[in-house]
Amino acid sequence: MRPVDAHSNPASSTSLADIARAAMPATARLRFPGAGMFDMLAIAFLALLVLVALFVDIIPGLVSPKFPYGDFSQLPDLTLNGLFGTDEIGRSILSRVLYGARASLSIVLVATCLSVSVGILLGMLAGYYRGPLERMVDLYANTMSALPSILVVLAFVTATGTSVLAIMLILGILDIGTYARVAKAGVISQNNRDYVLAARAMGASDARIMIREILPNLVPALTAVMPTLMAGLIITEGSLSFLGYGIPAPAPSWGGMIAASTDLLSRFPVLIVGPTGAIVLTVYALNTVGDYLAQRLNSRERGN
Amino acid sequence: MSSAPNSAILECRDMSCLISARPEPLRVLEHIDFSVARRTSLGIVGESGAGKSMLIKSIMGIAPKSVQVSGAISIDGQDLSGMKPKERAAFIGRKVGIVFQNPMTSLNPYVPVGRQVAEAARRHLGLSREAARNRAIELLSVVGIADAAECYGYYPHHFSGGMKQRIMIAAGLVCDPELLIADEATTALDVTVQKEVLDLLQTIQEERRMSLILVSHNLGVVAGRTDEVLVLYGGRVVEYGPTAEVFRNPRHRYTEALLSAMPQMDQPAHSRLRTIPGQPPSLAAKPDGCPFAPRCAVAADICRRVMPPMAVASDSRHRFACHLPLEAQAPMRSPDPIVAQGGVGHAS
Amino acid sequence: MTNLMPYARAISGRLLAGIPVFVLVTFGATALSSLAPGSAAQLILGDNATPEQIAQLNSAYGYDLPLWERYLKWLANLLRGDLGETLFSQQPVLQVVFDRAAVTFEIAFLAMLVSLISIPLAMFAASHPGGMVDRILRSVSSILLAVPTFVIVVLLSYIFAIVLRWLPATGWANLSQNPLANLRYVALPVLCLSLHQTAYLYRVARNEMVASLQEDFVQVARARGLPLGYIMFRHVLRPSMPQILTVMGLSLTYMLAGSFVVESYFAVPGIGWTVLTAVKSHDIPLVQAILSLTVVIFVVIFMLVDIGYAIIDPRVSVS
Repeated sequence: MRPVDAHSNPASSTSLADIARAAMPATARLRFPGAGMFDMLAIAFLALLVLVALFVDIIPGLVSPKFPYGDFSQLPDLTLNGLFGTDEIGRSILSRVLYGARASLSIVLVATCLSVSVGILLGMLAGYYRGPLERMVDLYANTMSALPSILVVLAFVTATGTSVLAIMLILGILDIGTYARVAKAGVISQNNRDYVLAARAMGASDARIMIREILPNLVPALTAVMPTLMAGLIITEGSLSFLGYGIPAPAPSWGGMIAASTDLLSRFPVLIVGPTGAIVLTVYALNTVGDYLAQRLNSRERGN
Repeated sequence: MSSAPNSAILECRDMSCLISARPEPLRVLEHIDFSVARRTSLGIVGESGAGKSMLIKSIMGIAPKSVQVSGAISIDGQDLSGMKPKERAAFIGRKVGIVFQNPMTSLNPYVPVGRQVAEAARRHLGLSREAARNRAIELLSVVGIADAAECYGYYPHHFSGGMKQRIMIAAGLVCDPELLIADEATTALDVTVQKEVLDLLQTIQEERRMSLILVSHNLGVVAGRTDEVLVLYGGRVVEYGPTAEVFRNPRHRYTEALLSAMPQMDQPAHSRLRTIPGQPPSLAAKPDGCPFAPRCAVAADICRRVMPPMAVASDSRHRFACHLPLEAQAPMRSPDPIVAQGGVGHAS
Repeated sequence: MTNLMPYARAISGRLLAGIPVFVLVTFGATALSSLAPGSAAQLILGDNATPEQIAQLNSAYGYDLPLWERYLKWLANLLRGDLGETLFSQQPVLQVVFDRAAVTFEIAFLAMLVSLISIPLAMFAASHPGGMVDRILRSVSSILLAVPTFVIVVLLSYIFAIVLRWLPATGWANLSQNPLANLRYVALPVLCLSLHQTAYLYRVARNEMVASLQEDFVQVARARGLPLGYIMFRHVLRPSMPQILTVMGLSLTYMLAGSFVVESYFAVPGIGWTVLTAVKSHDIPLVQAILSLTVVIFVVIFMLVDIGYAIIDPRVSVS
């Protein structure tokens, strides 16, 4: 137990963390405090991936991912299009990997936007008003965590058939419960803080309190879970495409490319490197960023 | 065992603890010198952050890895620095019993209490399961647990805080140690229970002819229960000597301030307690001179620049480190041995 | 352990909490057929269906009834133990589901057993945090967690079936008919399914144990000179068990998800494989039954986890 006024007088506190912080030279890691080398690499990789996905069609010299450009199953060479080799009908694997990035990222981003917005809405209402709404949100979150995500998606696909739009919507449904639960927990912990009570005492409406006072404080917790959930969506989308129920055929997708290259695996194992590397690195980078954000969130909360 | 009968049970010579940090290492403890004779008791007093816990942890060899301990520690005449880590841990475990501050967290909630008392005896004394069990039951009744045989199999959540601390004491005694260390052992307990547990410790020390170290932030805990007292401030020994002498005749300004901050029985109601202005020094910004200088009413220039050396009082066992000590014949004080709530103010 | 109350409470609590989940999932599964473009019967039978066939299907599964009635009818059928026949192979749905579930269960159970190797690894790494083993295992586990099961499946079958030729790439033998052949066929699927699981369990167990090592009672045990190995087993493992159990329960869901890829790739006739064929033939009744079974399994697993808590943590037993 510290002296009561320890917080107002930082010089008096002797906890090791404070000492370490005081002893650290003020380095210029402005935007990502405490990030290690791998964290920075992961962030850089994701930034690059987003850039590629945005501008893949204006990369000079890159051939179309849908049409053959060379011989079947060419091993990698040092040309741009042949960097990862060509696939079973002679398309450039590099081109397909890069266009596959666009496909995967757009699906995952749309799905995430959907689940974050619906999740925040439901979670905030549930945390603010509690009662039956909270129980319904809990039920939904529990149910979704009880079912393997791929089973849910396949069940929908049984009825709706595969299309990119359907997959975006179905993937968007999966994580609503998790985001809602995080938002709800945040609202409940904020609800009795002084600034919320003060706003209420001044006669602010519920909507105003939720949007102006509470919502900004939910952002750190939500962004901390987001990368990990997005990594899960990348895997689910990849598995679907691998099983043949994802992004429909001529369009490139990482999962689909891996499935296609398995037939040639005994003769041309090298051709699997491109799509495999892409999905593994993406998931690894997302997980790393997620761990980093969660760790920062934890230390922030402990610091309060 | 080669225990020289005349040697002290515990001896610390020029012990320092450093935590490596930039720009310079943090000096948690500096030049600590003291010893505990057989069958005597020592009180270690200091505010939170003074280094009491680190001192105990360093002696026991359980300080965090980031802490570098230097100096010589010997237990029962044996120098610990020569031992291999495993050997040393087993040696300390056999010779020294320890009771920590928080009985709520010091017992593993997943293991029956009897087993937690018995485990060290099985390990260090090589007792069979049955023998260790009997020994644990015997000790549980020594520390005042009724129905000890039945309680052996109970889990910690069945017991109150005071009872848990008694169990911890039983666990500390199980290897028949020659030294028992109570590190703030009563701080977390209710006032009435504190007194019971302190009395128990004292009785046990006398009956079992052990040495005892009582660590506390509260002078009242140490007064009247210990033979010698060591006052720590800012990682340094500021005063060290026979308890009665130090209390009657404090020489260091800090000790004197501590004594005045203690509530007295004869104080008129609603009178203000004297407090020590300021805060204990932080490790990162430790002054070069006397650590107490910034808070000392009479500090002179030299106090801020030069660490005062240990001086010896007229009673040669009484030492203090102060440039401007109090006069030798300070007015008589009779500190109340009853557990007082005042003391230094807050637990560490 | 004479006090059975905590177990009864664990069972009843989970059952009560499981009912709404079950209703939501089965109702949602019933509603699936309403999502079909055109009518469900049309979707199932394809474009060449005759009106008589459609009418027959509608009367069998109630696709022409309102949603509520269709759901109640399905529930009634479930209680009678007859969910109709699969559309493709014309076998009783429930029997197919149970047969296939047994296969998936065997693989999942074995994979769970294999993944338990993570516990001793975690104990070792946690007892020397920041050490060489800890750092290596941390990297390995984060890499494994980033490799999707469908990539693991391809890579391991390439290594073990194509390069080394130790194990068959695909195929199946029934456990009851030919246990030895079963073991050979099961080995690769189990390995693939367990890798992710092992990495996940390792991570949780290691972090939980490092946290337990910070507890005061561990400091006390160390001050008493007890050896680290003893402390790990006696004072660290058990307090970490509730968290480990939770993760094992949760990961069953992940394993079921993994089984889709694994079973389809190795042609193992389990639940995942069945769902995939059902999706292809738009066999809505079969998918519905499997969704329901999954929920039931989940509820049962978490009941077991709760009972596990009551066994492990003495504080739970106190009423």
